[in-house]
Amino acid sequence: MLDRRKECIAMLLAGGQGSRLLVLTHKTAKPAVPFGGKYRIIDFPLSNCVNSGIDTVGILTQYQPLELNNYIGNGQPWGLNRNFGGVHILPPYAQSEKMEWYKGTANAIYQNIPFVERYNPKNVIILSGDHIYKMDYSKMLKYHIDNDAECTIAVRDVPIEDASRFGIMNTNPDGSIYEFEEKPANPKSNHASMGVYIFKWEVLRKYLIDDEADETSDNDFGKNIIPALLRDGRSLYAYTFADYWKDVGTIHSLWESNMELLDGTFNIRDKVFKTYARNYAKPSSYIAGSSEIKNSFVAEGCSVKGKIEHSVISTGCTIEEDVQIYNSVIMPDAVIKKGAIVKYAIVGEGAVINENAKVGDDPVYYDESEWGISVVGKDEQIARNSVVKPNEVI
Amino acid sequence: MKKLSGIIFSNIYDGALGDLTAKRTVASLPFGGRYRQIDFVLSSMVNSNITSVGVITKYNYESLMDHLGSCEEWDLNRKNGGLYIIPPFAFGRSDVYHGKLEALHTALNFLKSQNTEYIVLSDTITICNIDYRDVLSNHIASGKDVTAIASKPRSGADNYPAVFEVDRNKSAKSITVNCPAGKNSYVGFGMFVMEREALIKVVEECVSAGFYHFEKDFLQKYFNEGKITVNVYNFEGTVLRNRDIATYLKNNLKLTDEKVHSGLFKPAAPIYTKVRDEIPTYYGDTSSVNECIVADGCVIRGELENSVLFRDVKVEESAKVIGSVIMQGTKIGKGAYIENAIIDKNVTITEGARLIGAKHSPVIVKKGETI
Repeated sequence: MLDRRKECIAMLLAGGQGSRLLVLTHKTAKPAVPFGGKYRIIDFPLSNCVNSGIDTVGILTQYQPLELNNYIGNGQPWGLNRNFGGVHILPPYAQSEKMEWYKGTANAIYQNIPFVERYNPKNVIILSGDHIYKMDYSKMLKYHIDNDAECTIAVRDVPIEDASRFGIMNTNPDGSIYEFEEKPANPKSNHASMGVYIFKWEVLRKYLIDDEADETSDNDFGKNIIPALLRDGRSLYAYTFADYWKDVGTIHSLWESNMELLDGTFNIRDKVFKTYARNYAKPSSYIAGSSEIKNSFVAEGCSVKGKIEHSVISTGCTIEEDVQIYNSVIMPDAVIKKGAIVKYAIVGEGAVINENAKVGDDPVYYDESEWGISVVGKDEQIARNSVVKPNEVI
Repeated sequence: MKKLSGIIFSNIYDGALGDLTAKRTVASLPFGGRYRQIDFVLSSMVNSNITSVGVITKYNYESLMDHLGSCEEWDLNRKNGGLYIIPPFAFGRSDVYHGKLEALHTALNFLKSQNTEYIVLSDTITICNIDYRDVLSNHIASGKDVTAIASKPRSGADNYPAVFEVDRNKSAKSITVNCPAGKNSYVGFGMFVMEREALIKVVEECVSAGFYHFEKDFLQKYFNEGKITVNVYNFEGTVLRNRDIATYLKNNLKLTDEKVHSGLFKPAAPIYTKVRDEIPTYYGDTSSVNECIVADGCVIRGELENSVLFRDVKVEESAKVIGSVIMQGTKIGKGAYIENAIIDKNVTITEGARLIGAKHSPVIVKKGETI
C-alpha cells in the first residue's frame, strides 16, 4: 500500500505575546495585527506557504486566540480548506494529568508531534508569525533536498556592523554551517538567521524528544535544538534569502515596514505570488472632491474627504473634511473626524480621533531621544482638541 | 421551517444593454466598482436567510459561472440548499427559452425539489438592498396570490416592464405592461413573491398553452381574467434601474451620492462579491480625485472626476477621466482624455487618445480593445 504522506508541512509559531507592540496587541495576538491596508501580519507566511505549494499549516498559538481563530476560520481565504491538510490552529494541549503552556518554540512543536505525524511528512518547515516578507519556500526546500541536509536555515546577509544583534550562522564555502553564534561580540560572518528552518521530520522528531527530556533546556530552536544538531555533527545548511524581509516586532519597525510599501522597497503588487487575506465585503471607496491623496495606499470601504500624504489607509476607514494625515498608518475601521491632524502615527483598529485632535508630530521639532511614533490603541477614543504627543501610547 | 427559496433570471433584458452584454449575461454585468449586477439580488436573498437559490441561465453564462464559483463568498456552499445553476435544456428537450415562464419551465425540477412554501423571483437589472422577509410577511398579510415588488416612478416618460395602479390597501386595480407610469402608479422591479405550488401549476399551464411572457401572459392576463389577485409591495429604499446603457452609466455615477451609497451598502446587510485579492489602491503624487468610487488594485496618477473605477485600473499621469465607468484591468495612458464613456474590461487606451461621448449616449469600448 502506498503511504499517504506530505513532502513538507509548515508549523507557524504565532504564540508570542507581542509585548513590544504595546496597545496594538492588548486584545489581539501579534500575527493578527493589521498591516498594509488590508492584510494581517500572518497573511504573509500563510500566503507564502500557499504560493510555495505547502497546503498543510499548523498555527501554534496561546495568547488572545479568539481573534486569530476568527480570522483564520476554515482557511478558505488562503485556499487552505483542504480535506487532507489545510490550516489548523493548535493551542497548548490539555492532557488528562496536566495542562501546560508552550514552554518554548521547540516545546510547542513537541506538544504537537501527533498532529505532524498525521501527515507523515518527509520535511517540516518552521515559520514565525511576526515577519513581513514574500518567500518561495519551494526553492528553499529544493536546496534542502539537493544538499540532503538534515536542517536548512534561511539567512539574510546583514551589514557586518549590525551582525552582533542577530543569531549568526558561520558557513563553509559550500553553504554548510559549522557554527552558530547568538549575538556574537565579534561576528565572523554576516549570515543572520531569519527564524525559518526546514528539518527532515525524523531528525527533528528525535531532537524534540531528547530536548524535552532535558530539564535544563529552554526548549528553544535557536538556543537548544540548532546547537544540539551542530554538536552531533548533523548536516546543516544556510539558505540565503536576498529579498525584502522585516521583523515587525516593534512599533517603529511595524510603522517603517508600512512606509516601505509606499516607497516601493517592499512590492506587494504581484499577479502570480499574491498575498491573500480575509475579505469583509465592503463597498469600493468613496473619494470626495475635497480630498487630496498623494503617494498613499487606500483600501476598500473607505470614505475620504481630507488630505492624505505618504500614508496607508486600511479597509473601512472614514477620513472627514479638513483632516490631515502624514506618514501614518490608519488601521481598519478607524474614524478621523473633522480638522484632526495625524502625523507619524499608528491609529489602531476602530479607534476614533475626534474633531481637531492632534496625534503625533514631525521629528524635525524634537530631540532624537524624545521623538517616536505615536500610537492610538484599538477602539480608543481621542477627545476633541486633545493632543497625543510623539512617542505617546494611548 | 424554511419559508422562501429564490429564483434569479440571469439573461432577461440582455438586449437592452447592447455591447455590454455581447459576451456576458445581464447578471454578470459589472456595477459599482467591485460588483456584478447579480450580487445585489443574491446578497439580499442571503441576508434575508434564503439558503436555496436557483440561477436560470440561457447563453453567455461563462462569465457568470466564473463569478459565482462555488458560491462561498455568499455562504451558499451548503449541504442543504445552496446555489443551483440551471442551464438551458436542463429539463427535457425544450428549446432555448424566450421568456421567464419558459425559463421557469427549465427550472421545474429545482422548484419541485424545494421544501419551502414560497418563491421569490427576480431579474438582475434592478439594483437595491432589500429584505425579502419583510416582503414575505407583507405578502402573507395581504392574502393575495402574487406580490409584486415596486416603487413610485422617478420620471413618467420612460416605458416600464410592468406598471400597477393600486387601491388604498395596495391591492392592484390595473396592470399595464411596457408603458409609461403615471404619478400615482407603482413601477415593478421584476421581483415577485408567490406560493411555490401555485407557481409550478402556472408554469405548467402557461407553457403547455404556448405562453412565455411572465408579465404579459401570466400576470396581466390572469389578473384581467379574474384568476389571480395581486398585492403591491412598496419598496421605499434606494433603487437603481439599469434599463439601458444611459441609465447604467447614470446609476453607476449616482453611487458618489452619499444617500444613494448608504441606501445600497448597509453594514448589517453587506453586498457580497467574488474576492480577487487585489492590493489596496495606490494614489501617486500627481493624482487628483474628485467625487469618485474606486475599487482596489488601482494605480492612480492622473485626474478623475465623477467616475467609477473597477479593480486593477491604471490611470497614468496627465490622463483625465470625467463622468465615466472604467472596468477591471483597463489601462489609460498618459495624456488620454475620456468623458462620458463606458470602458469595458482589459482595454488599453494609448497615450493622448481622446474619447468623448454624450451623457445620454456614452462611448462604449468593448472588452479587450486597444484605442
